[in-house]
Amino acid sequence: MPLDYRRFNGPEDSVSYKRFTKDYLKSYDELYKELLDDNGVRKDGRALSEARSMCMFFARTDMVSQAKGSAYVELRKTKVVCSVFDPREIPHQNEFSQLGQIFCEVKFAPFSCPRRRRPHAPDAEEKALSVALRKALEPTVCRHLFPNYQVDVFIYILEHDGACLSAAINAAGLALADAAVPMYDIVTACSVAIVGDRLFVDPTEAEEHVATISPETNSNHGVITMSMLSELKQISDFTLIGSMDTECVNTAMDILEKECETLVPQIQKILVTNVVKSFEQRQRLEEEANDREQALNIKMEEWRKLLNAG
Amino acid sequence: MAGLLLSPTEKVFIVHGVQEDYRSDGRSNIDYRPMELETDVVSHASGSARLRLANTDILVGVKTEIDVPSPENPDLGKIEFFVDCSANATPEFEGRGGEQLAIGISNLMQRAYHSSQAFNLKQLCIFESKQCWKLYVDILILECGGNLCDAVSLAVKAALFNTRIPFVKAALMDGGNVDLQLSDDPYDSKLLDVGSAPLQVTLCKIGDKCVVDPSAEEESCSVISVIVGITGNSSCFSEDNSSPDTGGKFTTIDMNGPGSVAPKTLKDAINQGRVAAKLLDKSLGEALLRERQESVKLKKYSYGFLK
Repeated sequence: MPLDYRRFNGPEDSVSYKRFTKDYLKSYDELYKELLDDNGVRKDGRALSEARSMCMFFARTDMVSQAKGSAYVELRKTKVVCSVFDPREIPHQNEFSQLGQIFCEVKFAPFSCPRRRRPHAPDAEEKALSVALRKALEPTVCRHLFPNYQVDVFIYILEHDGACLSAAINAAGLALADAAVPMYDIVTACSVAIVGDRLFVDPTEAEEHVATISPETNSNHGVITMSMLSELKQISDFTLIGSMDTECVNTAMDILEKECETLVPQIQKILVTNVVKSFEQRQRLEEEANDREQALNIKMEEWRKLLNAG
Repeated sequence: MAGLLLSPTEKVFIVHGVQEDYRSDGRSNIDYRPMELETDVVSHASGSARLRLANTDILVGVKTEIDVPSPENPDLGKIEFFVDCSANATPEFEGRGGEQLAIGISNLMQRAYHSSQAFNLKQLCIFESKQCWKLYVDILILECGGNLCDAVSLAVKAALFNTRIPFVKAALMDGGNVDLQLSDDPYDSKLLDVGSAPLQVTLCKIGDKCVVDPSAEEESCSVISVIVGITGNSSCFSEDNSSPDTGGKFTTIDMNGPGSVAPKTLKDAINQGRVAAKLLDKSLGEALLRERQESVKLKKYSYGFLK
């Protein structure tokens, strides 16, 4: 990894103080037990199969005034900002490309992760997330409409509490729609963490962490993220990490398909409210303009009378 | 793929062939092309393999070094994958041209080997929280003829199978530091347990059907391919056939290409990939065991590159 010498790079071997706390020394079984209480309810009060899409989901557009389109998605403690910029010519390219391109960049805030500080330079995980995001967005954008141009999509993860890729895809879909980039369908995404025979839908960071640790036994574990174009019934990206059998993959796919569909009305609602709002605003502006014109006309009349009289 | 131009008619020909389960080179949809595999080809590496799958040529070398284990996993060793796309393969890879592809493949390999059910990093531990082995798996793409992911995963598994790690003779605690003494004898070494290491199968969606091991021409007819990584069966890679059948679990699923697939197609594809991976794993195990026996009897004749 090349170092950025223009910044002050802290001592490389510094470690988080959390390493010396009791939490850090917990065994796999203890960590696993902590995820659920005795009634099988998760730490934040959700059932296993309950996503954060219902009450803990907040999204809006027009976050960044400089960008063509932007969105902010919040899944309780996961907070993601996305901005989309106008198409521009693809830099450093000699050949003409028939299809427009989407350039994605995912960046974690240095303070976003609970376990360690994120470096400024993009690390392997951020690069992998950027590639996954691009693959999820490519089938949904009408890329033939802007040949030889690229649309930039920037994701900034302010806080990471699990499911950051699905939050990023949802935010990017919303921001692209907000930027009026032509699209075939609304893209939504959801993830699931698998620990043994339990499936944690829309996992938190702690749940994802346990799911990525390999257990001693030969049981299933892993994280799956899937993005869908629900209206067209197409999967645009599917990412699996861990180790699991076919049956587990199939059940997870069915669950994720359903969850992706439940998100669509919420996204639609935000987009429709946007249209209604902008329509109302335009009407209001027109009315104000009319009022001003009338006031001016009245004044004109008065002056004309004065002139004629004088 | 570089320098490959297909007319629309040629593409239609390929698509129709796949529909009839009869491809332009005479294979069916789940057949692999013939492969050539040779291990122990690089003298300075701890383990190496060269795989030629039709026109795809991969050389893998494994270097072992000693490292300090990460504080999160004090009892685990480390493994890292580096892919180098040589400009010999296609002129497109010149300079930084192959970088994206290289990063993509190494990420995929890293993810496939993430789970301990795929590759147990505990066997690389020397002294808990003090010292461990680190495997550097360097993958060199010498020629590019389609289906890189499958070829890379096969070659990596063969190279790891071939890797020898020296035995540690003594570990002295010297004021909290570990002092290792390794044997000078190159034959005084242990082999790795790589039976469960994953193989990746690329399923290229052409028309409504998926094909295994696409050629470069077929790859250009498809907008989406599904890559599945399946853990191997340990019993195929050991001489005693007493151990039970294991493996067949998914360690990674990924989609490549600008298109999208219907949920049912994806489910069918991953099942098809699982079947293909099992067969591939079995024949890889047989080939590697045969070669090991030959090298024990000192009968092995090295083919090298000039054959």
